[in-house]
This record gives sequence, C-alpha cells and structure tokens, in this order.
Amino acid sequence: MTAGNGTGRPLLEVRNLVQEFVVRAHGGVRGGVVHAVSDVSFEVRAGETLGVVGETGSGKSTMVRSVLQAPPPKSGEVWFQGVDLAGARKRRDLVAARRQMQAVFQDPYGSLDPKWTVFSIVEEPLAAYRTGDRRQRRARVEEVLDLVGLDPSVFGDRKPGQLSGGQCQRVAIARALTLAPALIVCDEAVSSLDVLSQAQVLNLFERLRAELGLSYLFIAHDLALVKQVSDRVAVMYLGTLCEVGPAEELYRNPLHPYTKALLDSIPSPDPERPRPRVPDELAGEPPSPLDPPSGCRFRTRCPRAAEICAVEAPPVRAARPDHTVACHFPLSPAAPVSPVEQSGDSAAE
Amino acid sequence: MAVQPPDLATARGADPAADPLDATATGPARASRRRGTGKGLWIPGTILGLIVLACFAWPLVYRDLPSPTAGSLLAANLPPFSPGHLLGTDPLGNDIVSRLLHGGRVSLEVGLTSNAIGLLLGGSLGMFAAFRGGWLETVTMRLLDMLIAFPSLVLVLVVSTYLTPSKLNVIWAISFFSIPTFARLARAATLRLREQVYVVAARLAGQRDGAILLRHIAPNVLPQLLTYSLLWVAAAIAIEASLSFLGFGVPASEPSWGMMISRGQAYISSNPELVLIPSACLFLTIVCLNTLGDALRARTGAP
Repeated sequence: MTAGNGTGRPLLEVRNLVQEFVVRAHGGVRGGVVHAVSDVSFEVRAGETLGVVGETGSGKSTMVRSVLQAPPPKSGEVWFQGVDLAGARKRRDLVAARRQMQAVFQDPYGSLDPKWTVFSIVEEPLAAYRTGDRRQRRARVEEVLDLVGLDPSVFGDRKPGQLSGGQCQRVAIARALTLAPALIVCDEAVSSLDVLSQAQVLNLFERLRAELGLSYLFIAHDLALVKQVSDRVAVMYLGTLCEVGPAEELYRNPLHPYTKALLDSIPSPDPERPRPRVPDELAGEPPSPLDPPSGCRFRTRCPRAAEICAVEAPPVRAARPDHTVACHFPLSPAAPVSPVEQSGDSAAE
Repeated sequence: MAVQPPDLATARGADPAADPLDATATGPARASRRRGTGKGLWIPGTILGLIVLACFAWPLVYRDLPSPTAGSLLAANLPPFSPGHLLGTDPLGNDIVSRLLHGGRVSLEVGLTSNAIGLLLGGSLGMFAAFRGGWLETVTMRLLDMLIAFPSLVLVLVVSTYLTPSKLNVIWAISFFSIPTFARLARAATLRLREQVYVVAARLAGQRDGAILLRHIAPNVLPQLLTYSLLWVAAAIAIEASLSFLGFGVPASEPSWGMMISRGQAYISSNPELVLIPSACLFLTIVCLNTLGDALRARTGAP
C-alpha cells in the first residue's frame, strides 16, 4: 500500500494478507472455501489508532486474528517491529516477536478464565514470558491494575464471575498491558459493554495512549465510535479493504461507494431530521464469502458498477494524500457531502 | 459453576422472592430448583458419609466386631437380633453386620479406585486428544469407541478371568471400560473450551500448550468429570456386584455386597434376609450416589 507521508517504518505492516477456511459440506450446509480475508494490506504507524469498520461478517475479526497469528494466515506478510510474524518458522520466534502486540477481545467474560483470580490473570503474560521474580511481578501487576483503575487490594483475589462486564474488560486490558506492548489489538473491545462502561473504557484507552504512547488497531462495527477514537479508518467489505484514509476526511468525503452507503445509514441524533433509510445498496444480505463476486466484491450492490467491475478487481489507488481507495469509479471529492458531521457525537448503539 | 459466570451471577444475585406474587415468571422455578438442589445434595451426601464412616471407621473403632469370614458353624443361621449378632449370621456362621461393613468397604474401594483410574487416564487421554486434534485425536477416539462397542460385562469377565481374581484385578477390569466414557466426556468439554477466548488470550500471552492444557483446560474440565464420576461409582459398584454374583469378583476371603447376594440366593426361600440386607445396602448406596451426582450436575451446569 502506498504510504502517504513516510515517517520511517510503520509499527505494523500487513501485506497481501489472505485467510481462507475449508468447510466440509454436511447437513444441508454447502461446503467449499470461505474467502474470509482476501489480499488485505494496511499499516499501523507508531502512536496512531487505525480503526477498522465493516458489517458483521466482513472478516474484521478473522483479519485481526490472522494478524495475531491465532490462527496464522494462509498467506501474506505481517511485519511487526521489523519481524515477519507470518514467516516465523519456530513457535519460539513467533512468541518472542509477538511480545509487544497484545489483544483485547469482545466478550469480557469469555476472555478471562473463570477459575483464575484477577491477580493471576494479569500476571499470566509475565509468568509465561518468565519476566522478573515473584516480587517484581507482583509489583508490576499492581501497577497495571492501578493504571486501569482497579484497586489491586480489592480486586486482586476476585474471580471474573464476581466482576461486572466493564471491570472484566479492564482486567483484560491490564493483562494486555503487563508486557508493556507497543500495539494493542482491540477486537470489538467495547461492543458488548453498556454505554457508560464503553465511555470509561474508551477514555482509558485514550489515557493509556497519551501516557504510554501505545498504538491501537481498533475493530468495531459502530461507525460513530470508530470515528471518535481513530486517526485513520479502514473500511472492510467481504474480506477486502475498500478504503483507507484519515478519519475526518473519510467521514466527510468518502471515496468508495460502500463507505458512502455505510455512512448514510448512520442515524442522526436530531429528532427533527428524518430517519435515514437503509441505502438500497445495503438492503438484504451481503454475498456469501463462500462464493464472492468476481472482480470487485461490492459490485453486486454497487450503484456505480459497470462491466469492468465484474472482470477486474479494482487496484488500490492513492486518491488523495494518505487516502487510498479500491474502486474503478470512486466518488469524486466534489461529490455532494452527506450529512454525517454530527455522527461522531451520535449515541453509540 | 465455571461455565457461565454472568448467568451464575444473576442466579446468585436474585433473591428468592419471599412473596410468590411478587416473583417473576422465572423466579419461582429458579427458586424451587435451587431449594431442590440443596436437598438433593445434603440428604444423599449425609447418607453416603454415614455409610463410608461405618464401613471404614467402625471396624477400626469397635474392636469386638466378629471376623467376617471366620465364623463358627455352631452359630450358623442365627436370626436377626440374636445376642452378639445384631442381624444374625449366615449359613457359615459369619456375622452379617461384620460382613456388611467389610463388604461395603470392598464395594466402595472398587467403585472409587476404578473411577479414579478411569477419570485420570480417560480424562487426560480425552483432553490431550481434543487439544492436539488431527489424526491423533481420530485414532485415539476410534480405539476408545471400539472399547465402548464391546459388551462391557464380557470385557470385564475376560480381563478378570485371564488375570487371577483379586480385588486389584477387578478394579483394573472395571476401570478398563470407564476409561472410554471419561475420555469422550473430557474430549467434548475440551473441544468447547479450546475455542474459548481465554485460551486464545493465554496463547497470545505466550503460554505454552502444556501450560494451557494443565492450567486452563484441566481445571475447567475437572468439575464436569467429577460430577459424572459419581454416577460412575454407582455403576462400578453394580458391576462389581454382578461380577461377584457370577463368581468372577474378589476372592472369597474378602466378602463384598455382591458376593453376599450371590451366596445368599441359595437360601432365598428360607432366609430371604441374606439377600435382602446386602441388596438394600447396595440399593441405598447407588441411589444416593446417583442423586448426588444428578444434583451436582444440575448445580454446576455440566451437560
């Protein structure tokens, strides 16, 4: 992908990532190959937050799982801090290289072992990487628990079942922080929390970014939320990236028809304004990743689709500085601006 | 208790409403289930505890208990409530109370040990197979399926005939076919746990496979296996009884409940208590184990 402003090597560089799963046909389910992620390239620069948005089933989670090598992608390169994770031959090399990339997942309860105490959960990465002695580890665990706003003397001995969803997510964040990571991958990390805990966790992320200089790869399906937290945003559709660009600009002037359709579907907080219709393009289900459309994946629902779209997959082009789009007929920058200015403040549903 | 923390939290938090009119639709059902679980735990638990105590501790404390096998023919066939023999004696003059207590010991020992072996070996086999997956899982599980398909009593008979009849060999024979059951159960639980996000998270945290298996999977599989093993103890005791009844069980020097029933059946018309008393003990123990196992299973939410 074309890096607009070259400020050294990006922290994370993903090139031509492909992830596919073979499903066997049985019980009326059609078999075949699920093209979950097809040829995705992007980068996360040091200190920035890259948001990834897309409909359910667009492959966002599969994509980040492949980046994390759990499971490893089918092909492609994942360069993190100068090491290709996907090319790591030995498990030990991978584990060592991945040390500064940690993840926070969607389900706050499911990501914590119900049998473990908060203290041992947060200590686990330190113990697994054999870092420090018992006293140093204890001090570090207490430090990160303080950092995420949980009193170690109160919560240290509790089990996940005794915590609220927001508290569980804080524990998961604390666990991700213990090894002093450079990048935190948030896979729908706030989606299952109520609005209040959502705001608290987002503020925590923001504070950690300021204090520790973290970078985030932030996956969510909530467009308003992604706009709020991201420096740049990538839009994903059926396993491919449609458009990557600075958050403000992408929300104001989307270049890809899919991005525009997505933004048009955001409801406005103003009750006077008519409720947005779901754009015709997005009505119904997206095509199955078992049998994706030829050429451009969005062409079956795209109002601008032409013959070439069925024949040739659109190449990724830099339409503006630091703003790339994969479309044969991108919306011109002068296209009428859709009313999405307020979307950043709209209630996070 | 491990499976669904959020659910549990609400279940525990919900105060069983004192006023039934106030309770929601799910309220009374939930409350009664909880009350039932409490009863289902304590009653069979207490009875089992008394049985275990009587069988294992009573002969040690009460030194005057007659030997279960060295009775005198002069005292044969005494009716119940005879002086010195509370439940009378059998046709060989052995004290029935003493035989019951010693026999319970054998039955429980066989039941518990064979289950411990099955749980340990079968459980680790199943967990390991499911965790590694691939051909290893297929081969292991198919081999165990073969064991299951084989008629169990025939298998046990073969094993305990080829090995000389002794308590230890009976234990091995019975654990031999409790292994596949535990293995399948452990495999099913592991397959589900393997996909849990916390296992992925542990891997990302740099945890080794062995550590994940031992520290994340095993502690969460164990409660399910334990509750199920209670049901299996009952089955193992019943199998031991059938083996003894058929004459392939523990040797005559160590009476078991099953053996008492098989010896007594010759006198069933004249002295029915010879069969009825050990049968009642067997029945009580098995019912208690089953109820306890069911109650625990309901409480832990294991399948």
